[in-house]
Amino acid sequence: MRNILILTFNDLAIAFRNKTFLLILFVPLFVFVSLNLLDESGAEASKVRIVLVQHYAYAPAIIQSIMAAKQHIEVTCVQNEQDGVRLLKERQIDGILTPHDEATGSLALLVLKKDSIAAITIMQNFSALQKAAEGNAPDWISSIKSLHRGDVQRETLPTWVLMLVLLIGFIILPMQVAEEKEKKLLLALLQTPIHELQWLIAKVILGMVLIFIAVLFLHLLGSFGPLHLFDYSIFILAGSFCFSACGIFLGFLCRNQASARTLGVIFYLPHLLPAAMSDVSLKLTAVAPFLPSYQLYKPLQSILLEDGQLASMSFDWLYLIGLGLLMFYLSYLLMKRRWLM
Amino acid sequence: MQLEILNLARFYDQQRGLAPTSFTVSKGEMIAIVGHNGAGKSTLLKVLANWINPDAGIAMFDGIDLKNRAALVGKVGFIPEVPNLFDVFSVEYNLRLFAALTHTPFLRVEEILDDFNLLAFRKNRIQTLSKGLQQRVNIGRALLSDPSLLLLDEPTSGLDFEMTKEIHRLLKTMHEAGKTILFTSHRPEEIKSLATRIMVLHQSRLIFDGPGEAYFRSEIHENLYA
Repeated sequence: MRNILILTFNDLAIAFRNKTFLLILFVPLFVFVSLNLLDESGAEASKVRIVLVQHYAYAPAIIQSIMAAKQHIEVTCVQNEQDGVRLLKERQIDGILTPHDEATGSLALLVLKKDSIAAITIMQNFSALQKAAEGNAPDWISSIKSLHRGDVQRETLPTWVLMLVLLIGFIILPMQVAEEKEKKLLLALLQTPIHELQWLIAKVILGMVLIFIAVLFLHLLGSFGPLHLFDYSIFILAGSFCFSACGIFLGFLCRNQASARTLGVIFYLPHLLPAAMSDVSLKLTAVAPFLPSYQLYKPLQSILLEDGQLASMSFDWLYLIGLGLLMFYLSYLLMKRRWLM
Repeated sequence: MQLEILNLARFYDQQRGLAPTSFTVSKGEMIAIVGHNGAGKSTLLKVLANWINPDAGIAMFDGIDLKNRAALVGKVGFIPEVPNLFDVFSVEYNLRLFAALTHTPFLRVEEILDDFNLLAFRKNRIQTLSKGLQQRVNIGRALLSDPSLLLLDEPTSGLDFEMTKEIHRLLKTMHEAGKTILFTSHRPEEIKSLATRIMVLHQSRLIFDGPGEAYFRSEIHENLYA
């Protein structure tokens, strides 16, 4: 135990000296700043900026309603449609309204992207406007409730946490392990009474501590409190163990830091993208469960956004711990064989 | 005999490694291992340091199998050609770290700093020191646990005249203190001034094992450095 502590403190001191700490603090800081630049939800966010073209003939009732809704719709008039397109491309407006060619009395909406938040907001505003003007019966769907709690900032939190875990697991740890191999530091350490297992445990602890510090810093900056602290901590613990062990294994597969960095990125990106973007693609949704990172991302998403609890996620944390143990054992075997040392 | 080697072998491929080799070493000997690059010198030292496992043969030190790392910790010190120290930390930090790991009193760190003329550099980071100074720290680190067998892989490689002289002085002091020393070298004058016995490895095989005078008179020396 004494040797493990000495090695762990030495590893943390190295991380401090070689600026690794700056990296793990910079990433949450970057996330915090980025999240604060996201569009706020609420009235201000729902206000849309549209363009009307002067020489087009719009239905008077529609124009009247739009002009009356100044709180929700900001209208700009342009000479021709090309001017409107230019403004749209410059992101100065959200959409251009033109009379519909085929349906008299209707409008066509031109936006940058059909499935964007701006397009949805314009449609929602105009639907409400039309209902108010015509006094139609209520919509069949009169409100939308989301299982996910919190705002846009919180929605992205599981992705950022996953990114931090993978960054430390797949980039920082393999490089540190490879550095100790490359500089023959491991050779020097193993001439002391420390056992291979003690060195490995110290490295896993280093990875877990770095991940905890980074995640904690992210939560403190953003004032994000998890819904179920215990369940959340268990998954961070399991995930940090799993990916720290994976990182150490990757480090053992490399002779030097440069190759560890390359191999790390090769593993980092595939693990990050499908897991974090599986919600937006059916194909990625099918592929993502095969990646270990998904077994961390899904529970995090569930706990942070959907009020999920540990009891219903036994497979996920057992998977993470099982994979971590396997990687730990493989690292031990490579270390015993002095692989690429 | 302090060190007994019987048919020790390590195979990398057909060209490199160490063919089955046998020899014995008495306590207090200073042996130079000589040979071209790739002859197997470093491989032999790494096997003796228990850094790599042999593919065949037996190596015993004071009656203990060299594979028994736990039993030999602190008794064998290996110093590679390139100093293997935590270069972002100071001289003192490195020595104290290894002292803590080898359960050596910190008083010994002060002794090493004094013996190796490192007191003035104790707070300097390793990366700011010259290679000669780094090698001094490296040898000092290996001596923390007072090992009786020292293995040095080209200890003066890349050092200037003054630093080479300093390392020679340290090696002679350790030899006089009764330590058994095996070192590899490409420098005839170094071998002549330090070694009490010379072993020549050629193409992974031990082709000469004898006193320095015999070696320098032999054709092997002429062929090696012709």
